[in-house]
Amino acid sequence: MFELLGHGLLTVLQWNYLVPLFAGTLVGVIGGALPGVTITMTIIVILPFTYGLDPLQGLAAMTGVYVGGSAGGLVTACLLGIPGTPSAIATTFDGFPMARAGAPGRAIWLGVWSSLFGGLLGGLFLILVTGPLAAIALQFGPWEYFSLFVLAMAMVAGLAESSFIKGLLSTAIGLLITVIGTDPIGSVPRFTFGSEFISGGFPFLPVLIGIFAFAQIMSDIEKLAVPKTPESVLAAQPSLGVSLGVSHLKVIGEILGRPFLLLWSTIVGILIGVLPAIGGSAANMLAYDQAKKFSRHPERFGTGIPEGIIASESSNNANVGGSLVTIMAFGIPGDAVTAVMLGAMTIHGIQSGPLFVTQQPALAYGIYAAYILAHLLMVLIVAAGALFMLQITRVRLAVLAPVVLVLCVIGAYALNNTMQSVYVLLIFGVFGYALVRCGFPLAPLILGLILGDQIEINLIRAIMTDDNPLLFFTRPISGALLLCAALSVGLAIWQHMRHQARTAREGAPEF
Amino acid sequence: MRLGRDSLAGLIFLAVSLTLLVQSFGLPQLPLVPVGPGFYPRIVLIFMAVTSAALIVQDLLARRAEPADVPAPAQPQRAYGLVALSFVIVALYLVFLPLLGYRIATVLFVAALQATLERPTTWRQWAVLAAIAIGTSAVTYLVFERYLTVLLPRGSWTDW
Repeated sequence: MFELLGHGLLTVLQWNYLVPLFAGTLVGVIGGALPGVTITMTIIVILPFTYGLDPLQGLAAMTGVYVGGSAGGLVTACLLGIPGTPSAIATTFDGFPMARAGAPGRAIWLGVWSSLFGGLLGGLFLILVTGPLAAIALQFGPWEYFSLFVLAMAMVAGLAESSFIKGLLSTAIGLLITVIGTDPIGSVPRFTFGSEFISGGFPFLPVLIGIFAFAQIMSDIEKLAVPKTPESVLAAQPSLGVSLGVSHLKVIGEILGRPFLLLWSTIVGILIGVLPAIGGSAANMLAYDQAKKFSRHPERFGTGIPEGIIASESSNNANVGGSLVTIMAFGIPGDAVTAVMLGAMTIHGIQSGPLFVTQQPALAYGIYAAYILAHLLMVLIVAAGALFMLQITRVRLAVLAPVVLVLCVIGAYALNNTMQSVYVLLIFGVFGYALVRCGFPLAPLILGLILGDQIEINLIRAIMTDDNPLLFFTRPISGALLLCAALSVGLAIWQHMRHQARTAREGAPEF
Repeated sequence: MRLGRDSLAGLIFLAVSLTLLVQSFGLPQLPLVPVGPGFYPRIVLIFMAVTSAALIVQDLLARRAEPADVPAPAQPQRAYGLVALSFVIVALYLVFLPLLGYRIATVLFVAALQATLERPTTWRQWAVLAAIAIGTSAVTYLVFERYLTVLLPRGSWTDW
């Protein structure tokens, strides 16, 4: 294992891999720092650049974006009080007060070093656990896979913030999109209405790019109507005069002096990452909440204490490691970012899943190596350009939106050099924006979209092997997974009802 | 009672799922596959129909529980007109992309969307807008076509 890792590190340290990795990490840090630009959006923007690269170059660039983006959000969170990405929301709670209290360097570097430690611990988990998990996954038959996918969707739908029913409906919409076109078993056209345009179904990446990129950009454009208050304009004025100088040994000592906090936040991040399609936005909030609950002085959270920054930043980078475990061991994306990575792997003809590590060891260990090196590059990039990044955040939406949309169009077009994918992009762009306006969560839809074909294939395969439907419940692993799915749905309904009851009791409006 | 946004969305998805559900029974059976190509879509469509109906019921119940004389909370100001215009500009870009070619269509698109989102008022701002439009088109073209060997659309009108 370590020999392969050493080989992977030596490979990625070659210029032809190091340059895409560095570029990806840099773009990730900048994208993460830009308020309103998520890591998903950044990886969508970088996607077309990977088409012309070899698989490891492309995946190294994407890993760099993922790692850099998870850390980049802390810069604006600490210095402007605006989280660059949802995975840095909790960093704002203590990072910004600390920076305003005259210690911006301490706030930034607490975040950067916590990201590094959390990320590297997440990397250790990734390297040690992916192989054994993949070996377990190899024992899975179609019943277990089907049940695993059902569990993944039940969990994601249950986590929908707005409404559980909308989460379920969103999942159903994602699944429906995958049944349009030829069926994966007998190639019979379904719901095509005789149209050539949809006879092959909807290609996954243009649908994903359309739904995510358009929904986000158009939601940002909507807000152009909101007049800026003098306070918000002042707060968003970055200054190059701020000093980020700090004693690094002292900051590292502050983090390592809280080993339980660092470890627990990292574990929270990893576990949230392993769960399909949840992501860093949940990890940082949960880790912050846990840190507050375990603290002897919870009342000081939110006033600019290091614990808040350490919890948030170590968890969101550890989350990346967890997400990569899921995609590499099971072939299930841990979140929307890994969903794009999965799409990129498919373009390069790589099948992710339990056989990935054993059949493509050079690529798998190359990804591990890229993950580790991206963390080190992230530290260097923030050290060299944190204040410069603040200047980039002043790029106006009027400039950013058309450039991002052009890259989205290239990403869709270059998939198979036809305009059809670009039209799909627009159709689902409009659809995605409409869903967001109606309050539908997008994560369950994306998961349904990604897993739809696999669910059908495994369901049919199971029925063709043995037509006894009870096997889904009587095979131990499959039954346990379905039980977990049922519990997840039950828990979500119970939480929803409890929330409604509390809202009704308090008479507060529900948002 | 007026239907809310959730009820309307639920109705649309319910109609779609029921229509496709009826269609799924017309799909041909395959001799080798015991359940046929309509089996799995039917599960998905029934699931979708049930959740759509549940959304409608949930919305209607929530509306019934709301006191009639409570004014709706103030909504933040939103530039929906600008969003619609942006979608139209993107659609026009996609129409003209295969006709004018990537380079020309992209210059026009970037310039048009920039001007729509933030109208330049001085000659300097117009010059910056033009530079960004030309720069975006040129840089992306060079990077993708020359260095990454990704082919971009040629224009049937311009051969560019």
